[in-house]
Amino acid sequence: MAVKASAETQSKSQTWERINGFLNKYGIVIILLAMFIAFSLLSEGFFTTRNIFNIIRQISFMGLIAIGVTMVIITGGIDLGSGSVLALAAVVATSLAQIQTSATLKYPGLIVPVIVPIGAALAIGALTGVINGSLIAKFKIPPFIATLGMMTVARGFALIYSNKPLSQLTPEYNFIGQGEIFGVPFPVIILITVAILAHIMLNNVPFGRYIYALGGNEQAARISGVNIDRVKIGVYTIAGLLSGLAGLVVSSRVGSGQPGQGVGIELDAIAAAVIGGTSLSGGIGTIWGTIVGALIIGVLDNGLILLNVDQYWITIVKGSIIVVAVIIDQRKNR
Amino acid sequence: MSFKKYLSIALTLLVVLATFAGCAAPAAAPAAAPAAEEAAATEAAPAEAEAAPADASAPVKVGVTMLFDDRWLTDMREAMQAYGAAQPGVEVTFVDSKEDVAVQLGQVENFITQGVDAIVVVPANTDATDPMTQAAVDAGIPLVYVNRKPANLPEGIAYVGSDSIDAGIMQMEWIAEKLGGKGNIVIMNGNLSQEAAQMRTAGVKQVAENFPDIAITKEQSGNWQRDEGLALMENWLQSGDQIDAVAANNDEMAIGAIAAIDAAGKLGEIIVGGVDASADALAEMDAGRLDVTVFQNAVGQGEGGIATAIALARGEPVEQVVWIPYELVTPENYKDYMK
Amino acid sequence: MDQDNVLVMEHISKSFPGVKALSDVHLTVRRGTVHALMGENGAGKSTLMKVLIGMYIPDEGSISFLGNPVKIENTQQALRMGISMIHQELSPEPYMTVAENIYLGREPVGRLGLIDKKKMVADTRALLERLEININPNAVMRTLSVANTQMVEIAKAISYDSSLIIMDEPTSAITEREVAQLFRMIRTLREQGVGIIYITHKMDEVFQIADEITVLRDGQYIATVPAAQTDRNSLIAMMVGRELTNLFPKEDAPIGEVVLSVRNLTRNGIVHDVSFDLRRGEILGLSGLMGAGRTEVIEGIFGIKPIDAGTITIMGKEVQIKSPTDAIRHGMALLTEDRKLTGIMGVLSVRDNMMIASLESYAKAGFLNKKIINETCAREKTRLELKTPSMDQLIRNLSGGNQQKVLVSRWLLTVPEILILDEPTRGIDVGAKSEIHRLMSKLAQEGKAIIMISSELPEILGMSDRVLVMHDGRVGGEFARKDATQENIMRAATGQGEVAAV
Repeated sequence: MAVKASAETQSKSQTWERINGFLNKYGIVIILLAMFIAFSLLSEGFFTTRNIFNIIRQISFMGLIAIGVTMVIITGGIDLGSGSVLALAAVVATSLAQIQTSATLKYPGLIVPVIVPIGAALAIGALTGVINGSLIAKFKIPPFIATLGMMTVARGFALIYSNKPLSQLTPEYNFIGQGEIFGVPFPVIILITVAILAHIMLNNVPFGRYIYALGGNEQAARISGVNIDRVKIGVYTIAGLLSGLAGLVVSSRVGSGQPGQGVGIELDAIAAAVIGGTSLSGGIGTIWGTIVGALIIGVLDNGLILLNVDQYWITIVKGSIIVVAVIIDQRKNR
Repeated sequence: MSFKKYLSIALTLLVVLATFAGCAAPAAAPAAAPAAEEAAATEAAPAEAEAAPADASAPVKVGVTMLFDDRWLTDMREAMQAYGAAQPGVEVTFVDSKEDVAVQLGQVENFITQGVDAIVVVPANTDATDPMTQAAVDAGIPLVYVNRKPANLPEGIAYVGSDSIDAGIMQMEWIAEKLGGKGNIVIMNGNLSQEAAQMRTAGVKQVAENFPDIAITKEQSGNWQRDEGLALMENWLQSGDQIDAVAANNDEMAIGAIAAIDAAGKLGEIIVGGVDASADALAEMDAGRLDVTVFQNAVGQGEGGIATAIALARGEPVEQVVWIPYELVTPENYKDYMK
Repeated sequence: MDQDNVLVMEHISKSFPGVKALSDVHLTVRRGTVHALMGENGAGKSTLMKVLIGMYIPDEGSISFLGNPVKIENTQQALRMGISMIHQELSPEPYMTVAENIYLGREPVGRLGLIDKKKMVADTRALLERLEININPNAVMRTLSVANTQMVEIAKAISYDSSLIIMDEPTSAITEREVAQLFRMIRTLREQGVGIIYITHKMDEVFQIADEITVLRDGQYIATVPAAQTDRNSLIAMMVGRELTNLFPKEDAPIGEVVLSVRNLTRNGIVHDVSFDLRRGEILGLSGLMGAGRTEVIEGIFGIKPIDAGTITIMGKEVQIKSPTDAIRHGMALLTEDRKLTGIMGVLSVRDNMMIASLESYAKAGFLNKKIINETCAREKTRLELKTPSMDQLIRNLSGGNQQKVLVSRWLLTVPEILILDEPTRGIDVGAKSEIHRLMSKLAQEGKAIIMISSELPEILGMSDRVLVMHDGRVGGEFARKDATQENIMRAATGQGEVAAV
């Protein structure tokens, strides 16, 4: 009798464990799917190709930053400078891509191929990342402080460079944010491509595994022969590069480079990573999780607006979701 | 970090100063003061009339505290700068209030300590101006509020600005007429913690109430931002509801809305209105995409503010409240506003 | 009758999802006795203790303390009742003083509700004097050595004047001298009628101090025996369920040419003029008291900390080693002393932990070859008899012994010629310990050169071909296997061994 009873409890607890494990792994996907189903039932326009593309395009630049931030957080760091770097890259890039009749033309007579502003934005992003990474790796400045400094400095440089929006851009440049290939918005293609590349890098390249190792135990990684400094500088450079790319996407999407752009976007990106299961103490996180996290934020914004929900409630719901995600994360790590 | 922030802003300011020292503005001076005077509307109540005898050439130091990181306010700041530089014996100093009430009060106190002759404030919060007003009154230094009207404006304290509700009223009156008094309107709010957003939207609603066949069907905040306006409009269009006109609290959001309308292939089917008459907005109008905007006179407000401050410092009589009116900008007259 | 017992735990069972951690376990501790609790890692000792101090609520069973049935729901309640615990993992507040740590949460309060610091320091000083611990009550915790931190922890547990004190591996971080001191304290407490539960892996200590022994295995209660009526081998048999014939199976291996030669290695103020050779097939035991500079020598050789003078020659070639990366490139591997701090990457998978040091040799055109990696992992799992449900399991969910095997595997995959093992069997259970010893022998036979640091003399004596004894940052003595005795080594370690040096 007793044996049978204990066997039953055993199998019951195993089932429970399996469900629990499944929820831990796919909980956020289930949340996303539930939101999809709910909004589809409540709003006709929600579940359409066009709207899905809308959502992804709307989160594209935040998503790009979130991918970089995810890697940074996996190493146990943080990047608060993304929004400012985005703005700096955006104003510099757009100043090199204005049409000659623009009312805010910065460089009259300057006509360069579109690769120049693209290269400039990416280079600026990467450079800020190298600076962040070097401060953190070589000068042992805590990531929070180093990138907080970058947040204010990059914003300052963006304002020095142009204190007004730089608008009326060439069609080639605007294609980045507004164009479509086979009906798919180009920012969507950029985001998906970057996400796939980042996923491959994290999982199939030694450098990617070192990112996890660094966050898992920096000392152990160092003794195991991992070049800690190189990984740190590398990961912040990638994050900076993606902030620069986000600057390109957002400025071409709205047709204007604005020095005040992207305030607070780094917090949305961090939220997306955390919702997606990235642990702020390092060592844990996936790109697909972050993309799902970004989609949750995007779907919430989009769906609640489609339903004409009061604007203030949207922010409350967003905040609550973040906290719930962290609670789930904590339970998982217990 | 705070130091870095100051440094970067100081550097920004330095570049701005250098730029304007080089190329700005003596030409602006003669036009400005009269503009302010002509524009001066009712509410006459002479302030500081009993002050010291007028001395048109006495050196005057004016301290200005305002938000730096805002495009329109930057235009206004540049106008203040240029106007001040063109007045003999006048020196104007700017500090960044960072939209922080406490920082701003500290700056006013610093100005008083430094012994400026007049203080100009673009308040960070229109409901929290009393401590600054009190500090200036106690020190006997004239104070001028510009652009945002304090909730409490005691006698003896001047205000120069435009009435935000007028922008909404003018924008909506034009839209209502174009719609023939019938249709669905959506409103894009600016940052709703600010008076300008609240009052512009209030103006739009006030007009809409007079038309029984006009309905305000949607209202969300786009936080003054172009990309948020764009995303908002995409989502609204996606809802499938009929939208006949967009009343945006500023041009940036209106331009975002136009991009979404364009992408949806509905250009020309929806009337779009903004506020500010920014360069980008005028270019959109030139391209036949933006229907209406409202010009808030940054130069007029800036020059009016400094002129009032100088006059008060020199003991000249001024109006307590100087209204710089909004101007409607439409495809008929927009070329007048292009520089 | 019941008055003789401090604690009676009966029929204690506790399940976690998927695991029955404790099943019908008994434990009776008599007044004024030391009761050793033994078992391999994972046997349920920690779980039972966590039940006792209220960190876990048992599913079944009863606890009676000082003759009264009790329900213990949290650690504060346990403390109030008179049960205190010395935890194996030290968790001091690093920026507080010794006195503040000891009185954390029960600071003596004067008038106005302010902390009476004077009284707190005076009480601490009295306590430390009574226990013959020579530590300044005002010292900041982080400035103390690991051994002293452990002593403060012990003092703290005693200061509660509890009727029952649980000591979980209290000697894992302290030297022989301090162990003797601890044992003196334990004897005093015993005379005062305090009951002590003593958890350890060290057999010697058990027979030195324990009155009774309870053995657990796989969450089951096995037996309670008086210490005087049992011996090492039958105890081990109870713990592992089988007889272990030889705990230190160092087998003969052909000793070859010198592969590592260290000359005059100096780290200012820490290591002075250390020279030694290491040969192929040889296990060199590095002995010495805590703080003698053993780990510090290794840090210098492996490039973790810079050296100020001296040369390192590998395979006859002088090399510059500026970082662990350099050391690994020259064929060295280092299993560190503190598994948790510098070994495992807790939230990463077993696979990641195993592959980290050799990852780049599994990359083709920059991309990792997952297939070969998985095959390698599977092979290592079999070779080391690693117990893990899958290679995706997080390493922190493994037992200490299995974690250590993963780390050994990590280093073997770098195909090193020189293996440095710092306390390779600390804190792991008897079974895993002997497996690691067997592996060391096998590696030596394969021609690897091994340096083994150990604080356990029997391990040093059993495993080493040669013993190098450190004293005060210098080489205090060197003994061939046949000359190495416990007495020789202790003399050299305490600085009286120069005469005995080879």
